[in-house]
Amino acid sequence: MADLVKAGTRGVQRRAHTHKGPVREFLVLRLGDDEYGVELTGIREILSPPPVTFVPRAPRTVVGVCSVRGLLVTVVDLRRRLGLEPAATTRRTRILLTTGPAEEVFGVLVDEVRQVVRLAEGELELSSNVLGGDVSEHVLGVGRSQPGDEMIILLDLARIVGQLSESD
Amino acid sequence: MADAGDRAREEFFTEAQEIVEAFSRNLLSLDATLKVGGDDPSLVNEAFRAVHTLKGLAGLFGASRMGMLSHRLEDVLDALRLGRMPLSAQVLDMLFAAVDVYAQILGAEKAGSDAPLPALEELLARLDLSSSKGPAQPNLVVEYEIDPGLLAVLTEYEEHRLRTNIEHGLGLYRLRVQFELATIDRALEDIKQRAKRHGEIVTYLPTGESASPDTIELDLLMASRDDLATLIGTLGADHVVIEEVPRRRRPSLAIGTVPPPGLGGTLVSLAPLAAGADALADAEPHLVEAAVSLKAVTQTVRVDIKKLDHLMNIVGELSIVRGVLSRLSERARSDGQRQIAGEILRLHRSFDRRLGELRDAILEVRMVPLGQVFDRLARVVRQISRDVGKEIRLVITGGETEIDKLIVEELSDPLMHMIRNAIDHGIEPAAEREKVGKPAAGTIALNAYQKGSHVMIEIEDDGGGIDEEALVEKAVAFGRVSRADAAQLSRPELLGLIFAPGISTRDRAGDLSGRGVGMDVVKTNLSKIGGVVDVHSERGIGAKMTITLPITLAIVSALLVRVAGQVFALAVSSISEAVVFERKGLRVVDGREVVSLRGATLPVCRLAEHLGLPASQERPARRFVVVTSLGARRLGLVVDAVLGQEDIVIKPLGPSLSRVRGLAGATELGDQRVGLVLDTAALIDELLVTGEKSATEAALDG
Repeated sequence: MADLVKAGTRGVQRRAHTHKGPVREFLVLRLGDDEYGVELTGIREILSPPPVTFVPRAPRTVVGVCSVRGLLVTVVDLRRRLGLEPAATTRRTRILLTTGPAEEVFGVLVDEVRQVVRLAEGELELSSNVLGGDVSEHVLGVGRSQPGDEMIILLDLARIVGQLSESD
Repeated sequence: MADAGDRAREEFFTEAQEIVEAFSRNLLSLDATLKVGGDDPSLVNEAFRAVHTLKGLAGLFGASRMGMLSHRLEDVLDALRLGRMPLSAQVLDMLFAAVDVYAQILGAEKAGSDAPLPALEELLARLDLSSSKGPAQPNLVVEYEIDPGLLAVLTEYEEHRLRTNIEHGLGLYRLRVQFELATIDRALEDIKQRAKRHGEIVTYLPTGESASPDTIELDLLMASRDDLATLIGTLGADHVVIEEVPRRRRPSLAIGTVPPPGLGGTLVSLAPLAAGADALADAEPHLVEAAVSLKAVTQTVRVDIKKLDHLMNIVGELSIVRGVLSRLSERARSDGQRQIAGEILRLHRSFDRRLGELRDAILEVRMVPLGQVFDRLARVVRQISRDVGKEIRLVITGGETEIDKLIVEELSDPLMHMIRNAIDHGIEPAAEREKVGKPAAGTIALNAYQKGSHVMIEIEDDGGGIDEEALVEKAVAFGRVSRADAAQLSRPELLGLIFAPGISTRDRAGDLSGRGVGMDVVKTNLSKIGGVVDVHSERGIGAKMTITLPITLAIVSALLVRVAGQVFALAVSSISEAVVFERKGLRVVDGREVVSLRGATLPVCRLAEHLGLPASQERPARRFVVVTSLGARRLGLVVDAVLGQEDIVIKPLGPSLSRVRGLAGATELGDQRVGLVLDTAALIDELLVTGEKSATEAALDG
């Protein structure tokens, strides 16, 4: 997974899209030196991490639980989920709130939230077409604003948290 | 394990039995009113509903004989209810006979027998006879030329009203009214109100025609004591055409036409009958009564308990605000701002008081009296004692004790099972009892009372007590305990064996046992609602089960402890005490760490290691052992500090964490942090029952 990520890059700009068709918005986040995109519609809220309580015996990717205005949130470390080494929390660390299966609210821990990019359908390539079948199912595809331009790995947040309740 | 079908069937019998008994009580009341020459429509109505419910139940469970009987009875009661048939002693006799037949049917269903029931056949024949030869009822309605389409859609009540009005000699009128679609509700109500002065509008039906797309034409069927001219005078308008509904038999009467200006159609008038006025005067108080009772109904609301949970969550969050206020006050004081500190403190106190009131009020809404369950048990006891041929006296006290609605729902099955056990295993046969000088009738005492934030329920019988030797034999046979260990068991531990899976002190599977549901299931079900069972038994004198339940599930009184720097909560209901942990006293027995507590051996669990908590800097000078128990099993949990007791609202962990064993949920602590609530029952189960199997390995393979 980490190898795949090498293609990721910084500095994708918000630009006037040249392609026709519907536009999807992606939140660009950073994990270590790499950037990923997650679809904005799946995100309820972006927060500075509240104190997280460690949950013993939980799946390894679950850091713990925290409370957001009385709502109990299961906190998932996206680094561990993607097979990266965990990192210490910094002042840039954020939690993306998203709703998983059975209305469970997840907080996805990321190193930093960068910006929002808008990609037209033509600028999206779904993973099945580009990266072959053996690629991790966490990847939705890649986004490329112009041919030959830098591309960004788009993650499927729903699947990332969805599988947690299924099989960990 | 009884499967769901068995249990549902069981409940079907219980419920059917209950309804039949209510039906029988109802008939007794009816009989009493009939004897003094009165009649009470509400009683008839109740009886009708009982039978109707039985019919539905029968359908659900495929009890066709019961369905058939209910269906016929329903017809008869419906006729009584709607005044089509007078209530007579003969009819009542028939209904009373039905109670016995119901009992026979239920008995046959329970035994799974299809044998014909002569009593049922006979009663069905009698019912048929009564409905066919019932007092010939003059069908007055047919005398009127009412649109058959309209008659076809009359509700039974409307039909009844129509008939009553005709019987009382009121005239029938048809009002054909054009309504504006936009204002039809109001206009219809308005015309009904105005019509009241003259009689009543029995029903209305769209004619299917309308003058314009914005209007709708309705035919209103009205019964009135006034004549047509009067009605036209008060109700007539451009968009209202009033006609008298002519009688068929005597069309000659329908002659005197009074065509009012501006109105088309044939207008027929008939002199009002004098009886009409009296009838209306009679009817009026009924109307008023109906209005009053409707109002009473709106005094109560049915609320989904989830909404109350939500309210309780908000209260929990407000408690956090309260904590902040208190800290704010302290901070202001330490900053030297005494006045502000004092004001915040006052605010805090008043907030605290109101919050407490709010919490109590919400809790109160959730509370229902235990009597609901006890009443049901009383019926079951009667049934069981008949089945096993033992005479049982059930003494219920404390039925008014209130407890959380959710707990009550979960209580009836375990209680029923325990009582069944007491009757089946506890109470000796009458001959045996008399031999030892006990009264022939066995007594089972069901007692409930509140003790602090707990409700205690005791089930005590004066039977033979628990046969301890047989119990040990069984436990050894089932491998629950080794013979050597069995000899070492303390008395409470020994009695606690009745909660071990597969244990029953009787070899013969009685009528009632042999369902495969043991006391272990009772215990497990009770622990799900935070309940703990204790057993006491004296050979030859009787046995007593004491259930300790929390009053509510919404708020749990919890002990906060710290382990490896993390705060955990434990339900106080599962804790007996906390003592200082002495490392010196630690011994290893059978590969398990134990300490000795007042002479007894207590297995202990070092929570930090057991849960695999990250190592903390904390090196407390002394640690504590919190003693928890589940039935007869006890386990000491080693913690770094005991922080105190607090009322908490438990929230379930998300589904992705549902497989984590040993945690009951999470709760918000005052400082914006979340504390985990330990599931002590699961920990005990895991450590003492599952034994060697490492829990970490079970939970951590993800």
